[in-house]
Amino acid sequence: MINDKNSQKIVDIIQNWSRKHSIWVLAYGTGCGAIEIPPTMTSRYDAERLGVRGAATPRQADVLLITGYLTTKTLKRVIRVYEQMQDPKYVIGFGSCTINGGMYYDSYNTIKLLDRYLPVDVYINGCMPRPEAVLAGFGKLQKLIAEGKATGATKYKENIEWYKENQKKVITNWVMPDYNW
Amino acid sequence: MDSIWYKILGAIVTVVMAFIVGLTYMGLSRKITARVQNRKGPPFYQNFIDALKLASKTSAIHHGFLHHVGPAFMMITSIMSVMIVPILTGDQWFSNLNFKGDLIFLLYIMVFGPLGMALGAGQTGNPNSAIGVTRGLSQMVGFEIPWVMALVALMMQYHTTSIVDLINVQHQSGTWLMFSSPFAFIAAVLAMLGMFRYSPFDIVGAPTELASGPVSENGGKYLFTLMSSNSIFAFAKLTLYVDLFLGGASNIPVLLLKTFAIYLIPMLYGIVSPRYRTEQAIRYFWGWPLFFGILAILHATVF
Amino acid sequence: MNTIVLIFVIFLGGAILTYFAGMLKGILKEILFLATVFVPLGLFYTQISTGDTFNIELAGFALKWAITPFSYLFALIVISVATMAAVFAVSAMRGTKNLGFFYANFILTIMAMMGILFSRDLVSFFIFWEIMTWSSYLMVVYRGEDVQKVGIKYFIFSAIGAYAMLMAIVIVYNLTGSMMIDTLVRAYPAFDFNMQILIPVLLLIGFGVKSALMPLHVWAPGAYSHAPMAYTSVFSGALSKMGIYGMVIVLVSLISYFPQGHWFREVIAWMGGITAVMGTLWAIKQDDAKKLLAYSSVAQLGYIIVGVGIGTPLAMMSGLFLAFMHALFKGTLFMVVGTIEKQTGTTNFTEVTGLIRKMPWTFLAALLSIIALAGIPPLGGFIGKWMLYESLMSSEHYFLVIVIFFSSTAAFLYCYKFLFGFFLGQEEKEWDYVKEAPALMVIPMLVLSFATFVFGVFPGLILNPINEAMQTLGYANTQGHLWEMSVIFNDWGNQVAMQPIIYAIIAIFLFFLIFLTLKSYKNTRYVTTKDISSSGEVPKEHENLTFSINFMQPFFRAVEPLMKRQIDKYYNGFANGMEALFDFTRRIYTGNGQTYAMYVVIFVIILLLLKNSFFG
Repeated sequence: MINDKNSQKIVDIIQNWSRKHSIWVLAYGTGCGAIEIPPTMTSRYDAERLGVRGAATPRQADVLLITGYLTTKTLKRVIRVYEQMQDPKYVIGFGSCTINGGMYYDSYNTIKLLDRYLPVDVYINGCMPRPEAVLAGFGKLQKLIAEGKATGATKYKENIEWYKENQKKVITNWVMPDYNW
Repeated sequence: MDSIWYKILGAIVTVVMAFIVGLTYMGLSRKITARVQNRKGPPFYQNFIDALKLASKTSAIHHGFLHHVGPAFMMITSIMSVMIVPILTGDQWFSNLNFKGDLIFLLYIMVFGPLGMALGAGQTGNPNSAIGVTRGLSQMVGFEIPWVMALVALMMQYHTTSIVDLINVQHQSGTWLMFSSPFAFIAAVLAMLGMFRYSPFDIVGAPTELASGPVSENGGKYLFTLMSSNSIFAFAKLTLYVDLFLGGASNIPVLLLKTFAIYLIPMLYGIVSPRYRTEQAIRYFWGWPLFFGILAILHATVF
Repeated sequence: MNTIVLIFVIFLGGAILTYFAGMLKGILKEILFLATVFVPLGLFYTQISTGDTFNIELAGFALKWAITPFSYLFALIVISVATMAAVFAVSAMRGTKNLGFFYANFILTIMAMMGILFSRDLVSFFIFWEIMTWSSYLMVVYRGEDVQKVGIKYFIFSAIGAYAMLMAIVIVYNLTGSMMIDTLVRAYPAFDFNMQILIPVLLLIGFGVKSALMPLHVWAPGAYSHAPMAYTSVFSGALSKMGIYGMVIVLVSLISYFPQGHWFREVIAWMGGITAVMGTLWAIKQDDAKKLLAYSSVAQLGYIIVGVGIGTPLAMMSGLFLAFMHALFKGTLFMVVGTIEKQTGTTNFTEVTGLIRKMPWTFLAALLSIIALAGIPPLGGFIGKWMLYESLMSSEHYFLVIVIFFSSTAAFLYCYKFLFGFFLGQEEKEWDYVKEAPALMVIPMLVLSFATFVFGVFPGLILNPINEAMQTLGYANTQGHLWEMSVIFNDWGNQVAMQPIIYAIIAIFLFFLIFLTLKSYKNTRYVTTKDISSSGEVPKEHENLTFSINFMQPFFRAVEPLMKRQIDKYYNGFANGMEALFDFTRRIYTGNGQTYAMYVVIFVIILLLLKNSFFG
């Protein structure tokens, strides 16, 4: 029954619908962007009405929210957290810094292009992106999930060598267990 | 009609109902919390979506066998509690397998799951989990005392340990135990604040402090099982309070009304409270609730 | 030869033989030891039926040995724990010094316990009691550590108990002219009031010491934790029950015939309740597993004393049932600690962690016994606890039931601490070398812990001998209205049926086990305990993330006022007072000849003065 293509499609639609409306966010407050999370969550903008909610640990989270610039030191932790999350999982890059380095474009210890290290599903542009922009970003992610196009995690698995190579290039003292699945 | 299969079918239906009602109540509590905070809040069915999402997670990790089966232990407690507490009085369909509804047995089966879950949390090796467990156990020692005092007062007064008999007592006398044993009711309700683990007694989960404590390593199917189990358990506890103090219920709408009325108490108390420290929580329960418990026992012995 | 005598001859001969065989190499001494334990107990189990007697005249005293259903019940406890502990001891003690000494003492203890249960007269009762005390004392000081502190304490308290008992026996002999227990029971109602109080109090001091009743429990934690663990499972499991055995006889056969006996029982029950609470609180505080279990034994004996002290049929049943269960699960737990001590070399919770994957069978035994200890259904401990609560409530002990409930809820804290401390938590590299114990050590533990499970489902298996025992004590038959094979009732007619509960629990567990296992089976992985979500940090090999120091700190902040008073301090204060008194006497008896000469002169002068003033 499950093998039947049509019923599989229906199951997919239901599952994607639930994934779309229940987004548990692990807000990794890496940079200054973290300051925009509280207004997004609290009374004025109230992201919870869209099903967006904070998660306490990576094991429970669906979305890794990278809020701002990433130093190489922090990148290590971010990779670790991402690998501890359970499938299906998504990454939102938050602010200009994750796109092209932003105002840290010539800094020696931040990474400029987040996409080279982790598969980003949605970018939210701006420095800072206001809560409206953040909500718009979540809306975009929901749309992608519903369509089944938020496939960052699969991409990561397929191109694991390339990602690892990039990661190890910037993180010189690599002591983490390797991502083997 | 009296065959065992019929009863088992009834039991399964009850469990499903408990699951649905429990999740709805939790969703409503999120909605009400949001309204109190002047937010729109998620829809009341948000928790169903969350549960479905957790169930449709495709991967999971565990730290060993005990961690793997921890949620199953929790489920045993929840389902057994629903089985023991009489859901509807005088209804064949919901008589369940209720094992004569013995209160002492219920008290003990109610700690079976949390302890099994605690073992699972221990095996993860996450210090947050272990800290959460020790806090939970300490808090349990705190609130069990007034709670047991209230129950002992009732059991002594009416010479029975069976919930069914206590409901019958209320039917015969025509008054709810809430009014005829007010002190026991107050002690039990104050103990309930700790039992439901809303603020100010959410010291076990404490998301910002302990990273959700015992469940911090659980995701996907494990968290789904825990979430379902919690909702079933919440319904069982609410029904127990209704049975003991509010005269039980003879049909489902009345049951829902009464359970929701009880549910509002810990929820509303929680919305306006910050979090206690563990020893503050314990001392809270050994203050006024204990006093009311003693009054309840005196009341039961004098009358 | 009479089988009763044969049993004791085998015991005694075996003890002597093993003592000398201990010097030999090879497994001869072990076979001899096991044979000496198993053959007499097997003989007892198969050949002896209640009612067999043996009479002998010794030094003018008529001695009578017989077995009643009541002593048969306690003999069952001794048999089950002693045989398993003996098998365990063979493997656990391998390679230690003075093995013959250990074996001989082990056998002597078992012999003494059987002797106590056989004795129907006070002389042989007292003799066997002393043999038991001495052999256990030798075991406490067996390892030669802290003998000054622990051994002396045990010795002093045992001596106090023994003297109290001896005094009672002498008084009884004076009053009745006979040493038979039956004569005492028959003559007791006719004694005058003072004697009616004095005899039970003296006897209870003797029994209270062995069963670690509240003010007399001070020796227990030290003694239990210093004896070799293989022996402690007998020490705590069976030997402490001898105190309960005596206590039941005193409370039921003597106190019941005494008009104010009700208050007497009340006091004993409350002492038991306080013992349970304090024992539990101190157990939670311990960081050493041996100490934790020792205090826990004190607490559990408290429950038993409460049940025995209340003395209604249900309460007595619960007390005896708990006594049986305590023997099984505490025997197992001490064996578990012994196993861990042998495999890792330490029993401290702050040092050992994460043994579950290395010692799964030991963990299983520990888990089952801990569940039984905590009194969680469906295991045996629950039956006893349930009956205890019900009996307390139906006999209207309003606040005692709360005290007991507090103590058994707080017991979850140390139960969790025990399991977490040893088996759960981070798996450290330091303990990677640890292996599961040999089968000879694991099997006794598993047998005992599965027994608690079986008796949880079919409590009737034990309640049947308990019922017979209680009938010999003068209780009515309780079968059918207080218990059936797997159903227990309270005085108000409410019941708990264990069998459907077990089936339901197993069904639910299996269903969710299958659900959790099969759902996304391929994508479920085992990860090590180093792979935890700790804010993105990767714990290094040497970083110990286990939470084990100050484990229950917040709880202790809350109960601080209760823990301030320590009975030890009072005893120490008493000892200091005595020392001061002796110092004072030393000031008089200086040991200097001239001072004594002066005393004599002063004495003579006083005498002269007195003589002159009164008679002059």
